[in-house]
Amino acid sequence: MVLETLFGSRARLRLLKFLFRNYPNGYTVSEITKHLQEDRNIVKKEIENFIQIGLLVRGSKAGKKIIEQ
Amino acid sequence: MNSKMVKAKHKKTKVKKRKRVSLARPRRKTKRPTRRVTKPAKHASGVGAPRYVLNRDFQFIQELRDLILKSSPAEKSEIAERLQRIGRVKLAVISGIFLNKENPETLATDLFIVADYIDRRKFQVFIKYLEAETGGEVRFVIMEKEEFQYRLSMFDRFVRVLLEGPHEKLINRLGV
Repeated sequence: MVLETLFGSRARLRLLKFLFRNYPNGYTVSEITKHLQEDRNIVKKEIENFIQIGLLVRGSKAGKKIIEQ
Repeated sequence: MNSKMVKAKHKKTKVKKRKRVSLARPRRKTKRPTRRVTKPAKHASGVGAPRYVLNRDFQFIQELRDLILKSSPAEKSEIAERLQRIGRVKLAVISGIFLNKENPETLATDLFIVADYIDRRKFQVFIKYLEAETGGEVRFVIMEKEEFQYRLSMFDRFVRVLLEGPHEKLINRLGV
């Protein structure tokens, strides 16, 4: 509840959790929507927002490693 | 017989007049099936769709990561409440990814349920909810009460490791 309030929406928090927990992997909108159980349009909007602030980037390949840790 | 024919003819012309269509050639009842060109839906299977990944150069990426991953992936009270609704649950134990440990992978299971009865459909919805909330897969085990008590009495490794390791009981009607 705390983070949900902090981030402003359930979908946004779920998206962040999903992305961080599956970290180096890239996902399509369809895959994310299916997993998150949220409305596709909402998910799309959140993704666009994240791209705008530079948190998300477009990756080309599935499971492309972005971080070499 | 003759009069009948006349009558029929009369009827036909009447209909013709009214409908203003030629009755010589009856209309085809069903349309010929037109060949439909199926457009490949845009990114239908997700093959060509763009994929999105976290940008490692984002300025707060580390802080955000800590915040998200260190917090509990799902509200415990909500899990407990939802568990009550899926059947007669005697014991529900959470472990693994729910406990924000450093290496959740070392724990064999995330959710352990002992129940008399479980509504399979409701349980599936529940698992979907958990996966949406946690952002990953949820490993779970369901057991009947008899099996659980047998395993407990014979010091079964799986049950022992779970109950001796880090875990939290959400529902406990067995007094273990």
